Amino acid sequence: MKKTCCTLLCAASLAATPLGVLAADVTVDSSTLFSYGKRDVSGGSRQTLAPATQFLGLTADKLADGNLSLHLYGWGRADLADNSFNNNSSDGSLTYGYLQYRFNQAGASIRAGRHFIHEGIVNDQIDGVSVRTDLPMGFGLSAFGGATVHTTDLSGQNNDGKGDFLYGGRINYRYKGLLDIGFSAVSEGSAPTSTVANRTNVDYTRIGGDIWITPFATVDIIGQSSYNTETSKMANHSYLINYKPIQKLVLTGEYNHYSDSSYRFPWASTSTALLNPNDKSSTAGLITSYEISKNLEASLDYKHYTREFGSADRFGGDLRIKYKDNSIRGGFGYHYLDAGQGFAITPYTSGSYQELRCYVMQDTKSYFGAVDVLGQFFKDDIYNESSAWEAIASLGYHITPALALSGDISYGRNPQFTEEVKGLLRLTYNMTYNGTGGKK
Amino acid sequence: MKNRTVMLPLLAVAGLFGIIASCAQMQTVPGLPASHPEALAVGQQVNCSECHEDQQKGTMKAFNAFSHTRSFVKNHRFYAASDDRLCSTCHKSSFCNDCHTNQVEMKPSTKYGDRPDREMPHRGNFMTMHKIEGKLDPASCYRCHGRANNERCVACHK
Repeated sequence: MKKTCCTLLCAASLAATPLGVLAADVTVDSSTLFSYGKRDVSGGSRQTLAPATQFLGLTADKLADGNLSLHLYGWGRADLADNSFNNNSSDGSLTYGYLQYRFNQAGASIRAGRHFIHEGIVNDQIDGVSVRTDLPMGFGLSAFGGATVHTTDLSGQNNDGKGDFLYGGRINYRYKGLLDIGFSAVSEGSAPTSTVANRTNVDYTRIGGDIWITPFATVDIIGQSSYNTETSKMANHSYLINYKPIQKLVLTGEYNHYSDSSYRFPWASTSTALLNPNDKSSTAGLITSYEISKNLEASLDYKHYTREFGSADRFGGDLRIKYKDNSIRGGFGYHYLDAGQGFAITPYTSGSYQELRCYVMQDTKSYFGAVDVLGQFFKDDIYNESSAWEAIASLGYHITPALALSGDISYGRNPQFTEEVKGLLRLTYNMTYNGTGGKK
Repeated sequence: MKNRTVMLPLLAVAGLFGIIASCAQMQTVPGLPASHPEALAVGQQVNCSECHEDQQKGTMKAFNAFSHTRSFVKNHRFYAASDDRLCSTCHKSSFCNDCHTNQVEMKPSTKYGDRPDREMPHRGNFMTMHKIEGKLDPASCYRCHGRANNERCVACHK
């Protein structure tokens, strides 16, 4: 797998040159990161971490008749000191790699290769084919099928939570700008389950509906519900309502309900330790977002969490500031989580904490810099620490509009590692920086 | 059995006519452009209604529903699930895959330490905080770590 990933990543970088000749629009995104850090680990030892990581993406648009495009993205890592994770000193992954043909009409497209599927209740990744098109009279249709994308061989586990293959689709109907209603289904073959005795693999299907309705110009309701045919129970309900009484004010209400055994039906063996099949969880929240001026946005939010063993509440607010044509940006946020013993870290009695965050950054044509501070202050000490905090300072220079060199230094204290010091050097090359649309 | 034998070809022919009729009208079905015709500034909280007052051709949804308010960013999964073609007119897949991926190498907030303005999960010391946050809303963990990105979870949760 690693060899495959490395080969593909190398091929992607090498392919840029010949594709540049064939295609009208080839872009490459590259981030090379060298990080260095010291980390205390339990038992009193101290690790030195020095991983070198390469993220590489390539997009070749307007191939063949102009409607064909190639999309590749992945990463590879080599540890130059202690292993940063597990016993592997190197790793890599192809995040996506697919060909897309986009038709001129009806938003129709075909994708083949490794890609993500977002269709109604479906949010997954396949090595396969997907097609979608709008149809006359407001209808739309999509279908997909292929092998699941396995994460890796998990240490000590016999599966990564995924089955062997996925297929499904969505059909939807749109009426003017008022209604978009969809029905989607996904079937997975040989899926590992957390509810079946002896953890045998099964084929299962999840079906569901999604809706976007705008009954008034100022109100949107968006949401979805899904049903697991194997457990014969509803898996989830997730709904959002937006109310915009004036252009710059948005009031949002959100409700989510999950039945764990149905929603999290296929999962890795880890679920044995984490999952009570009878558990249900719900969240209900409100967000108010107001654009005070073009350069200042304020928001207030509240969320209520409900589990079998209790409930908790979180509330707070954020302020976001822009200045000098967006070149200076800043933010401040405060939140308080009020959570009882059920949510606390064992053996403590409270999971409550306050969180403060403050950042400021400037991005000019030549240099850019940022400072970001985050602190969590616990109601009850955790591992004899009353807080966890981290500060990151970053400074960089635009060598060209597309090429930039930057470095980060971070320092933090927390109950887990007590003390963390990290440094990171980053070389980024983003050909789409000034392009139309592109990566933002 | 005999009825079924007769019905199947009839249904197939009817379906074929339906497909041909649909294809003939496909030319008139509007679609979204492949990319936004004008470059938008990096880090900008895009307000679509600054330029657009009407509905999109392809999705027929109101433009102002997609203005990137704080609420929109927090709840973007609802919009992406309905029609991610609109997202892709401005964002490459890699923009989404900075967080949503099958195997993440590092925390997105570490990769983008120079971009504190971007909404990134698990900032700071999440090793401690996940012991609280995971109990609050386990489905939110599952959406990213249940079927993917679970390599580091199993280091402890065996």
